[in-house]
Amino acid sequence: MDEHSEVTDMHLSFWDKHRFLLLIAITITIALFLVGISMALYASSGAAQLDLSRPGYRAVSGQAVNDDRDFENYASFGQLDKAALDEFNSLYNKQALKAKAVSAFSGDPLNPDVLEISSPITAE
Amino acid sequence: MRISTKSLTLCFFAAILLPVALFSIVSAQELSITDEQIARIRSSCVSAKNTLNQLHASDALLRVNRGQLYESMSTKLMTRFNSRADSNRFDVKDLTTVAQSYGTALTAFRDDYKSYEVQLATALNLSCLKEPVSFYDAVAAARTNRAQVYADVVKLHQYINDYKAAFDVFATNFNKTNRGNK
Repeated sequence: MDEHSEVTDMHLSFWDKHRFLLLIAITITIALFLVGISMALYASSGAAQLDLSRPGYRAVSGQAVNDDRDFENYASFGQLDKAALDEFNSLYNKQALKAKAVSAFSGDPLNPDVLEISSPITAE
Repeated sequence: MRISTKSLTLCFFAAILLPVALFSIVSAQELSITDEQIARIRSSCVSAKNTLNQLHASDALLRVNRGQLYESMSTKLMTRFNSRADSNRFDVKDLTTVAQSYGTALTAFRDDYKSYEVQLATALNLSCLKEPVSFYDAVAAARTNRAQVYADVVKLHQYINDYKAAFDVFATNFNKTNRGNK
């Protein structure tokens, strides 16, 4: 019996003996590959720019508007009469006012003078 | 009026040399960071980085909240009204044109904000103590990108007004037609 198992053991290759390790290594490689693809998609799709759970955004993430239920959908089907036009007019005016209320990205906070990185002569 | 060969040749060379000269001037300006300025960048490094970090976070919040609103203007109002008017067999050519332009401007806003954010992150990742010149250039590039994002926002606001104007014309025509039918 012992002789038989010794003979069998001698015929096993290196990979046969380390099958479990091989399985783990392949699993980790596949996982890393898939994570790489996910990260590439995350960065290239623009999702990264909208993800306020990233480090550095924690302070402002609570101020993000999570649902826009107050922004009503206008019905895309149905008869078009004066009432339907008035309804759209009222909805549109309300939301247009909100959209234009903030002049986003105005100002010049990256001006070297503001950041105090301009040349001393320019800053004076 | 006859144009001589000499003046044509002169114009040709001017057209080639003028942009080259302008480009050289701009490049020279970019490179002209003095030692005093490098010292100033190093001394203001911490405060500048803090300001950039705050701006990075506040602009991201602005992008999320404003972006959502701009998106909804298109998907919840413009597209839906156009579709409804079209299914009722009204002429919606003008409304569709404005809505399409708005959509294009919205895509530009998304893309330009992405470029700006990537550039600002690059500036934040640079060490202003070790690489003051690269840091300055990265901030300058981010500044240009941010100005472009603002230009996109102005365009979006303009298209919101344009759609309203097109809708008013549509409503006036609709009322006229309705009165005529009665």
